[in-house]
Amino acid sequence: MSDTVSITCTVNGEPVAAEVPTSTTLADFIREACGLTGAKIACGHAVCGACTVHLDGVPVASCSAYAFEADGSEIRTVEGLEDADGELDPVQAAFADLSAFQCGYCTSGMIMLTRALLDRDPNPSGETIRKWLNSNICRCTGYELIVEAVAKAAEAANAGPMR
Amino acid sequence: MNESARLDVVGRPARRKDARGKVRGKAGYTTDISLPGMLHAKALRSAIAHARLAGIDASAARALPGVHAVLTGDGIGDDIAPTYGYFIKDQPIVALDKVRYRGDTVAAVAAETEAIADAALRLIEVEYEELPPAASIEEALADGAAELFEEAPMGIVPAYGAGASAELRPRPNVCYRFNYETGSPDVFETCDHVFEDVFHFSRMHHFHLEPFAAVAQWLDGDRIEVSTSCQNPFALRKELGRVFKLPENNISVRVPFVGGGYGSKNNCKAEPIAILLARMTGRPVRFALTHDENFLTNTQHAAILKLKTGVMNDGTLVARDSEIFLDSGAYSDASPLVAEKAGYRIPGPYRYRHIRTSCDCVMTNTAPAGPFRGFGGTQTSWACESQMDMIADRLGMDPLEFRLKNLIDLGEPFVPGESGMDSDLREGLELVAREIGYHDRKKNPLPNRGVGLALGFKDGGGVNKPAQARIKVSTFGDIFLHCGTVEIGQGAHSALSAVVAEILGAPAGRVRYMPIDTDHTPFDQGTNASSAISVMGQAVERAARSLRAQVLDFAADCLGAEPQDLDLEDWHIRKGNEALPLAPMIMGHFGGTGWEFTADGFHKAETDHSAPLETQCVFWELGWGAADIEVDPDTGLITVHKLVVSGDAGRAINPLVCRGQDEGAAVMGLGQALFEEMVYDGTRLINGNALAYRVPMAQDLPAEFVSITQEQGHGPGPFGAKGMGEGGMLPIAPAIANALFDATGVRVAALPLSPPRVKAALEKGF
Repeated sequence: MSDTVSITCTVNGEPVAAEVPTSTTLADFIREACGLTGAKIACGHAVCGACTVHLDGVPVASCSAYAFEADGSEIRTVEGLEDADGELDPVQAAFADLSAFQCGYCTSGMIMLTRALLDRDPNPSGETIRKWLNSNICRCTGYELIVEAVAKAAEAANAGPMR
Repeated sequence: MNESARLDVVGRPARRKDARGKVRGKAGYTTDISLPGMLHAKALRSAIAHARLAGIDASAARALPGVHAVLTGDGIGDDIAPTYGYFIKDQPIVALDKVRYRGDTVAAVAAETEAIADAALRLIEVEYEELPPAASIEEALADGAAELFEEAPMGIVPAYGAGASAELRPRPNVCYRFNYETGSPDVFETCDHVFEDVFHFSRMHHFHLEPFAAVAQWLDGDRIEVSTSCQNPFALRKELGRVFKLPENNISVRVPFVGGGYGSKNNCKAEPIAILLARMTGRPVRFALTHDENFLTNTQHAAILKLKTGVMNDGTLVARDSEIFLDSGAYSDASPLVAEKAGYRIPGPYRYRHIRTSCDCVMTNTAPAGPFRGFGGTQTSWACESQMDMIADRLGMDPLEFRLKNLIDLGEPFVPGESGMDSDLREGLELVAREIGYHDRKKNPLPNRGVGLALGFKDGGGVNKPAQARIKVSTFGDIFLHCGTVEIGQGAHSALSAVVAEILGAPAGRVRYMPIDTDHTPFDQGTNASSAISVMGQAVERAARSLRAQVLDFAADCLGAEPQDLDLEDWHIRKGNEALPLAPMIMGHFGGTGWEFTADGFHKAETDHSAPLETQCVFWELGWGAADIEVDPDTGLITVHKLVVSGDAGRAINPLVCRGQDEGAAVMGLGQALFEEMVYDGTRLINGNALAYRVPMAQDLPAEFVSITQEQGHGPGPFGAKGMGEGGMLPIAPAIANALFDATGVRVAALPLSPPRVKAALEKGF
């Protein structure tokens, strides 16, 4: 058994090639090898979703995925949402405008989860929003402002130019 | 500034200062820190609840490639005070002679990676001589119970004022007892009724998403630099100075953003091990616990509360005698302080002629309990507000009317020597009653459906908390705010910056909240007790007003005017219709290099021996709650159709942030009410991880969830502000229990109101 594995992928559109121990989690790969610390490791059991990133467009708990699972994939993290001029994604803007965060430790994951939802369903119902948000945990806000921020982000995206 | 003028910054739902960093994943937390040469630490935890350490063999761990140091109790020399704690120094950095709970720290390893450190832990051999454990309050207080500490550890009792006292170790397995008494117990004899009830309160975990974490290094061999996820950097510095026998100016404590705490991140947690391993290895050491380990490090207090309340036929409360037992776990941590608060708050915000309370911190072989949002007030609000409804029912009174009759008036002292109530309690209670439809609830009663109210209560702002702040403004009007309030999610950095901006007539964006480093940041007692706006806010306000006065005096001198004829607006001096830029004025006077205005502000409630806790309460934190629930009699499942929570912000510095505080607190209370609980099988925690431990999630939100931020305007903080963040949690569980009684006539006096417990109670019928 080889102790390391080579990975070729893109991270937020940038090609990345790395040799990492086979046991490296996707979260550690992104945070340590790529230096992108937006995704947080919290519960460590794929329960809370603070570590959520997109793997080929699918939201995954990076704390509980191996880095080698991302070989050949496109990884997108919260750092990849804003445009080149630093203009926030509508989801980020809505979370900022509604103070839909407090300590911020779950926020990257919540935003990536919401981005994935809106990529699939640009007009989610309140019920759909709650159902999706149910996969992540926020201990601070009581969720209500997050639910409103998701609805606001959907509204803003639909009102503005297609992204 | 003209106080009657409209406010430009305060009161607006502006973006928080940390918004952009947090939504972009750029906000820095302790866990994000990586230093060159940094090693990683992991701790070995006891699988035994209570045992004497007979021997540790760490030689195989030390020999593992990549391991740099293994810390065990026998390796701690005389140059270190090996135990820490708040009032009682009973918790060892690593076990010295005994382990006292499953999860107690036995050893720690520093290695090149966390994986190597983990592997090394498995090579450490520990020999235990098992001792009988005490798993619960009842077991620990039983005759012949095993003692966690055979001798009393070093501890202190602080000074108390009128009617209050405390003692260390009043009996075996009780590390601290707080007492309070006012009025004569003889009045019990005059009461028409005396009701005695017992309430049980379950134990939650804080479930902060950022773990306990610290990154430490030693500089020049005798200076500590530690970045940590911590709520009280200065208190931590003091304790680290005692433990490591260093002057406080050799210890720099730095606190980046903190990823949630809810009370848990006070005092020593990950820091001592990180620091000690850094000294042993000569390298920076990062010690971040796993989420599973968080469960074993600090928890809420389970409690038994016995209330004896005397009342007249007309519903007038006369006397309350209370005995409280807190499950403190294996080490005292903040238990003495929580006991003080629980003992003090148990009467609730009602008028009595006699109050007597005692509160015991009971040591058990379980995880240490410590500060938790509500800080004893959650436990007491549960018991007090449940009993209020029980008494009303026994007297045939409406629970709302019963409360309204006995509530303390606005301005009335809580007890003799205390400050006056700074919220209109009736106004808030009637507000949530109207919102939940309380008065109409009997018009079309539905089976198994009920409505309940409760009023959570605590003294806010902490006891004897000094706070200092410093503001600098550069030649061009860039504002630096230095103060020690930690940004833990509550929005304090934005709120305190908004206060400065408002007073200096500047846009909020011109204020930078400077990074916290105890080497440079003015002193603060800690980010806890909802004290940021109520205590530090007053220090910041004074600093800002002082700086404003300096600037106006300076401009008046330059312009040959009187300061009262000038105003400050966006770093211009407004004189009549003229707006004169300050920068040229400053350089004209001080030269082209410029100048910085600097001002300090300080706040501390005055010491007052007539106040039971030695200072009068800074502000009173209230949480009004109401619930409309339905219970399924077949399963015992409670569905909350509507939940109402309301706090009094006094003056909301940022309404959205205030709303978030009340809602977050209320949902934590909802979890406590319905399902959330650390479940012990004897001394073994059986749900100590995120998979097994259930916290509220988005789909647990009630169909209707209403939060109302009152702004009654009586707070001591800037512009009338009061603290927030804890009050919203306090009324939720009793409101739901009261609604359950309203629905079924069945009283459940233990938490959580989980389906099995509710179903059993319904079957029993009382």
